[in-house]
Amino acid sequence: MGRELTVSKLRVSGDHRRTLLSVDQLAIAPGQAVGIRGPSGAGKSTLLFALAGLAAIAEGSVHWGDTDIAALREEQRAAFRRRAIGMIFQDFLLFEELSAAENASLAGSFSARSRRGDIARRAAATLERLGVEAEVRSVASFSGGERQRVAVARALASDPAIILADEPTASLDRAAADRLIDDLVALAREGGKTLIAVSHDPAVHVRMDRLIDVADGRLVADEPVAGARADA
Amino acid sequence: MSPTAGWWRMNRLQARGPMPETITDLWNDLPVLAQDALVFALYLLPAVLVGIVVVAGYRPWPLVRAMLGRYRWTNLLFIALIAVSVGIGVGLTAQERGLRKGTARAAEKFDLVVTAPGSEVTMMMAAVYLQPVDAPLLSGEVYNEIAGHDYVSLAAPIAFGDSYQGAPVVGTTAQFIYHLSGELASGRAFATSLEAVIGAAVPLEEGDAFEAAHGVGASAEEGAHAGHAYTVVGRMQPTGSPWDRAILVPVEAVWEVHGLASGHAPERAGQLGPPFDAEYFPGTPAILVRAEELWANYALHSEFTRADLMAFFPGTVLAQLHSLLGDVRQVMSIMAIVTQVLVTAGVLAGLVILTKLFSRRLALLRALGAPRRFVFSVVWTYAAALIGTGAVLGLGVGVVATAAISRAVSARTDILVQSSLGWTELQLVAGFVSLTVLLALAPAFIALYRPVVADLSG
Repeated sequence: MGRELTVSKLRVSGDHRRTLLSVDQLAIAPGQAVGIRGPSGAGKSTLLFALAGLAAIAEGSVHWGDTDIAALREEQRAAFRRRAIGMIFQDFLLFEELSAAENASLAGSFSARSRRGDIARRAAATLERLGVEAEVRSVASFSGGERQRVAVARALASDPAIILADEPTASLDRAAADRLIDDLVALAREGGKTLIAVSHDPAVHVRMDRLIDVADGRLVADEPVAGARADA
Repeated sequence: MSPTAGWWRMNRLQARGPMPETITDLWNDLPVLAQDALVFALYLLPAVLVGIVVVAGYRPWPLVRAMLGRYRWTNLLFIALIAVSVGIGVGLTAQERGLRKGTARAAEKFDLVVTAPGSEVTMMMAAVYLQPVDAPLLSGEVYNEIAGHDYVSLAAPIAFGDSYQGAPVVGTTAQFIYHLSGELASGRAFATSLEAVIGAAVPLEEGDAFEAAHGVGASAEEGAHAGHAYTVVGRMQPTGSPWDRAILVPVEAVWEVHGLASGHAPERAGQLGPPFDAEYFPGTPAILVRAEELWANYALHSEFTRADLMAFFPGTVLAQLHSLLGDVRQVMSIMAIVTQVLVTAGVLAGLVILTKLFSRRLALLRALGAPRRFVFSVVWTYAAALIGTGAVLGLGVGVVATAAISRAVSARTDILVQSSLGWTELQLVAGFVSLTVLLALAPAFIALYRPVVADLSG
């Protein structure tokens, strides 16, 4: 049984203590696929970073099970991300000079020696599943779709419970975007992982179990997606 | 033991007081090679220890490789800057040592020189390195006293002052030629006052004839000795000294062309070399003296050091000069390190800026859960890779620079300078690497405190 992600009385502040995001209550069940949408600057990515323990949390709590991420020290939050979070970004953020396999197993560089083999194996298996050539010398020659699939493999390599995706399809053409979101959702569901995807893309939204609307730093709507799984 | 090893040891003694007798003895009992290698290892140790502590438990190499490849031209520029600064530093110190050895080698054949009282340094520069100088002359009586001494095996007058196309024309004896050159490279020694033997680098051939100018350099009077043409009859072996560019003629010929007596009584007119008749000996500015035995040189030195004579060992004078220059060498070594460190500080400042270009990827590592120490190790290893590569390449630059400077110095001074990098330079580079990789901790620290979310957002 996975752990629930709960947010309570959260306030994230930016420069000059300006409030970037304020969330009264939010609960995300384990294994749920949640889409977050809203206009630019609404606070979507800030919510994602807060859930990952990256944003400066001024007040409130972010619980993953019994663990209050907001109360953790810097290195504890890093350890939490290492163990529980996989992240995907709009522009891939790959190391262009490394191969797909090296990029996907990046977490092995800083993980405990005992975990390195598992990470490398899982990265290779996911790359194969996604149809990416793992051993090509560098990813510089890859298309956007291939790069984002490498980023997905990297996010899953540590077998995290939560996948946070920030506009995962925004840099891709329609066909590549559809393939990617299908693969991402399928992998998340197979692994029983919680998927939280910030996206403007309706094709992403319809594949989610639930959609949250964010505006002006607040959650303004939270509803299930029509036709979503009954257990979500 | 290398000078650096000696300097290190001296500083240790000054800083901590005398080492326990056993440690001192242990150190002194070590072979020189082992001492040099240990000092090298000691200088490199801080870099190795920092590296072990910073990298322990992580695998930063793939990322460092990616960072090196990402801005390869900028990285190459940094490496080149470090390499050039290290190369100049080690090149200068190696050159200084090579020059010291070269000047010492050039003076090797000059066991003891006797001149009129004056400056030992000036007379050494004149007699050994053939630098033009006006010197008082020694009389025939003095020459005969020296040449007739029981301990003396060779007493050669050295009479300078003429030249041919910039090459000094030196009057001496055939024995001196063989003393200087050993067997001749070709031809034979002079047998008449119209014959000459040339140094290995003189641009004349056997059979060529020439007339010497009076004086040396710009003030040389061409045609002053018109009518007295020398013919080249032999060439000396290379000596690695200014004598390679000298033309050696019978000392009698030098006297004759200046309208002086020939050194011999009229009934022995035409004789070359000793014995000389004191009454007909016009004088010589210097006499090279060689004793039968090494120890006898000291007796001769003592005997001929008096009110009307000055005897000196060129090697000793040179050692005194080198000793004086030794302080300058220390300053040069320190300045070389300071210059290298300044260049590296500039490079590290550039690295801080370059690290900003990597900030999104470093932030990504943090987002993926990398500990701060891992990010620190990536940035430090990246800087250390630039420094290490630059330092190793710098040794190569040093080798090339040393060879080029040696050639230039040899061409200008006629002193064969053969420089090569040694333990001193390796120790210098080891110290430099240790110091700069410690400085490289700064950009690594700075990278830690960048805002992750802002960097991720680009």
